[in-house]
Amino acid sequence: MTDTARNRSEEERHERLLDFVGYVLTAARALGKEPASYGPMRLVDTLTKAVELLEDAGIRDESVKGPLAVIRENRWQATSDPEAFGEALDEAIRRLVEVTLEDARRKEQAEK
Amino acid sequence: MVLDVAESIRTRRSTRSYDSTKRLPREVFEALEQAVLNSPSGSNAQESHFVIVQEPDQIRRVKRFAQGVSGNPAAVAVLCSNRVEALSKGGADTAETLRFVNLGIAAAYILLTAQSLGVSSCPARSFHAKAIQQLLGLPEEVVPELMITLGYADQPPRPKTSKPSREVLSYDRYGKESI
Ligand SMILES: Cc1cc2nc3c(=O)[nH]c(=O)nc-3n(C[C@H](O)[C@H](O)[C@H](O)COP(=O)(O)O)c2cc1C
Repeated sequence: MTDTARNRSEEERHERLLDFVGYVLTAARALGKEPASYGPMRLVDTLTKAVELLEDAGIRDESVKGPLAVIRENRWQATSDPEAFGEALDEAIRRLVEVTLEDARRKEQAEK
Repeated sequence: MVLDVAESIRTRRSTRSYDSTKRLPREVFEALEQAVLNSPSGSNAQESHFVIVQEPDQIRRVKRFAQGVSGNPAAVAVLCSNRVEALSKGGADTAETLRFVNLGIAAAYILLTAQSLGVSSCPARSFHAKAIQQLLGLPEEVVPELMITLGYADQPPRPKTSKPSREVLSYDRYGKESI
């Protein structure tokens, strides 16, 4: 990588971090006045953006892909159909429980 | 191809995902300018101000403080209202209420003008007004009230969920359903 390319990517990382912080702060500031259904949507967007930032920084974990995919598909329903969005969150959580239990099984076996 | 008003109304949907490689041609900006300049206002007070942000770095700065803006639009129209001018030119009713009606009409003009030219859009109210005011260098009395993102959609819009027409529309008196 050339120096300019490295500088550019560092600058881009800086911008992306600022984008993220800006998103969370402005979302937090507005939530008190916005519809209740916006809360879950903003949290889920925050999660997605945080995972993307971590990936930028080289922290990538395939096991969160399944739960996040469910949310990505259903995110648009957050305000139009909060119940359906709630069910999507349940499904994402169920998939994360599966990952958690699988991790626990693996750990147990390793300790045997 | 240019769509007429009825077709623009029928086909317009809020777009939250844009093709970030496509910029808007000059004719679109010119048409938006005409939309704004020809929009009506109570007492002809013309107290609104519009900032059309199209420089990519400035769009990014604006987006950073606009949590309700999704996707990578080619431009963002920031619709602002001047409360002081509203009062001086239109009186108390304009300062308290009509300036928002005026801005709403201007917003519709912008949305439909864009749609007629094949440009997609999405209104957004979720942003931090003070931050946007600072970024755009707006005078204290010129407050951003609404944004409209503009660009070329890169996926079909989500389906529309409309109330049944009888809940929205009556003829001659409340609740009478047909002509
Ligand atoms: C005043 C106003 C503010 C809005 N603010 C936002 C916003 O901050 N973010 C967003 O994604 N959509 C926003 N919208 C878009 C609405 O969600 C959208 O118009 C509505 O769901 C109907 O969908 P349609 O525009 O496709 O017909 C706003 C719309 C209006 C009229």
